[in-house]
Amino acid sequence: MANTAEEIQKSIRTYLIVGAALFVGTILTVAVATVPALDIGHHGFDMWDAILGLAIAATKATLVAAVFMHLNHEKKAVYWIFGSGIIFVIVLFGLTAFAKNDPIHDPLFYGRMSTTPAPLATPTLR
Amino acid sequence: MEIPYIVTPRKDTGLFNSKIAIWLFLASEVMLFGGFFSAYVFLRLGADFPWPERTLPVLPGLINTFVLIGSSVTVVFAWASLKMGKWRHFQIYMGITIACAALFMVLKAIEYNVKFHHQAVRLTDYTVVEGHLGYEKENGEYVLNHHGSEVEENQIRIESGGLTFSTVRYHKPWVEEILSQAAHRNAEIKLAADVTARTSEGGNQDTLIAKAGEPLSLELLATIQKAHLKARAHNGALRTASLREEWKKTKAENPGKRGWQLASDVNIDVKALEEAGKLLTEISTVSFTVTPPVRLDFRPRDVREGETQSRLRDDTVIDGKLLPSPMGFHYVDAIDFRHLAMKAVNKGLDPIAAVENSWLIQNHTFAREAWEWNKAQVAKLEADLLKDHGVNEETGKPNREPTAKERYRIDWKDFVAMSDGVNRGEGKIALKEEFMGPDYKGREAKETFPMHFDLPREQVRFASKFTPAWNTYYALYFTITGLHGLHVIGGALVLAYYLFFGRKMFNSNPEWLANRVEVGGLFWHFVDLVWIFVFPIFYLM
Repeated sequence: MANTAEEIQKSIRTYLIVGAALFVGTILTVAVATVPALDIGHHGFDMWDAILGLAIAATKATLVAAVFMHLNHEKKAVYWIFGSGIIFVIVLFGLTAFAKNDPIHDPLFYGRMSTTPAPLATPTLR
Repeated sequence: MEIPYIVTPRKDTGLFNSKIAIWLFLASEVMLFGGFFSAYVFLRLGADFPWPERTLPVLPGLINTFVLIGSSVTVVFAWASLKMGKWRHFQIYMGITIACAALFMVLKAIEYNVKFHHQAVRLTDYTVVEGHLGYEKENGEYVLNHHGSEVEENQIRIESGGLTFSTVRYHKPWVEEILSQAAHRNAEIKLAADVTARTSEGGNQDTLIAKAGEPLSLELLATIQKAHLKARAHNGALRTASLREEWKKTKAENPGKRGWQLASDVNIDVKALEEAGKLLTEISTVSFTVTPPVRLDFRPRDVREGETQSRLRDDTVIDGKLLPSPMGFHYVDAIDFRHLAMKAVNKGLDPIAAVENSWLIQNHTFAREAWEWNKAQVAKLEADLLKDHGVNEETGKPNREPTAKERYRIDWKDFVAMSDGVNRGEGKIALKEEFMGPDYKGREAKETFPMHFDLPREQVRFASKFTPAWNTYYALYFTITGLHGLHVIGGALVLAYYLFFGRKMFNSNPEWLANRVEVGGLFWHFVDLVWIFVFPIFYLM
């Protein structure tokens, strides 16, 4: 923990670098979403864009948490408290996987459709 | 009393107490926002409509991201300044932080405001039209309503000959609105028949409360309401009293029996009460005639319209013919066939044919022109993608294809490109337009924009402004950004308190103030951290 004036003076430089990195990261997020040449995966938004976008966001968030919020050199108690919060959130996100098996997506659930629609050749809709 | 461990760390945790507290709070905040974000995932995976991906203007969101990151840097500098004992520097950095928070909220308010004035309509065939409502112009002037203001809403128009108000439920502002509309159109609203009632017990002669032909006024309704409520209270008390009497009598006649065994035999003779002249007259509704019958306008959400009789939400019944009440779009800034195409594909139909058979394409020249332009743009894009990325050797399909958005959505930037005669994405958009949406009045002169789309009411399936009601995307957008905005306001207030009222503590106990600012700063960083996820998820995905 930077507590003396000298230590803080030193860490100011780190804060500036991280701040700059966050700005660059933001520009990068927008660039990968809007510049066609940087579009990964299929054309337009798809899973890969989501993964890349969230990866950049997660990196930025980690930088904020580690440096600005001093999580890179914090006491154990803080790790326990915050870590447990994170674990619950991960479990919560895991629950969304059930959305795939939700009966609401079953066209037969309400007994409306008797036949499955014929597959289409073109054009594809994603 | 001395508060322990505000400056010195506790032995067991190694931290000062407020820091433990803020981390506990942040952990709960992580779970709160986590809940909303997982709701987002859940609703997006389960959406039965095309998710409006990359739909918000990026620029305001991007600027807001810069603003929040900047404030995160300055708040950590403010804390460092305190640690080094520099009050003046602290003031400057904290001042910048709070200014950033204010700027963030201003931009957010602009974004919200634009959405609240932006109309969307889903037609019966799932075509979506977005834009601004307004009524057609006469001699280059907007049609103003009787208040002299522009009409920004759809209206249900009824040629009203008679009005029947519910004596207890009538809504004063609506009555006033009806009165002012009728006055504007030179019609008189008069009481249809004498309102008479028995106003005292035992009286054989009915009292005249209001005479037929009296003009409608809030005072008149209030008088009738008063008589009605008085009668109701009186009758209610009378019924209760006679029921008590009956119970007493029945119990005396049947000693030893339980209440439930007698209940079915205990009845009051309402008819006898009436004949004895004890019950007063309740006047639950009161009817008026409108002479001559004139057009009265109502908001769709206030009225349930019918061909010959309509009813307002306050139970006012309007007798009269329903006039054509089209949704008059003054400006259209997007035509979206994605939902229609999705429905077509689900039914096994060709989406292109479905779009071309849609009501809008069949009935609006501009929509047809825009669609043809869009088709040419899609064909061009398809060719370009094929040229750049080739085909998959195994499946023989192109590696990259236009998205559903590119195929089926034509928005105002495309209209601009279309009228400028350039390709999609090459139209000239002013910086202000990136924030506020198209500058209709400026563009109108150049005839860039499609105008006066009249959508007949029977074609409308669902209409809403861009509010949480429109779809789950906007519901989530407003919930998450709204909650985040509240956090920004709360955090800024706390930090402002340290800035404006911290001097005394800085002189007496600077370490304590530094710790307070650190804790406030931790919250502020968390707010930034949430936005780091909100921005790409809502603006770029």
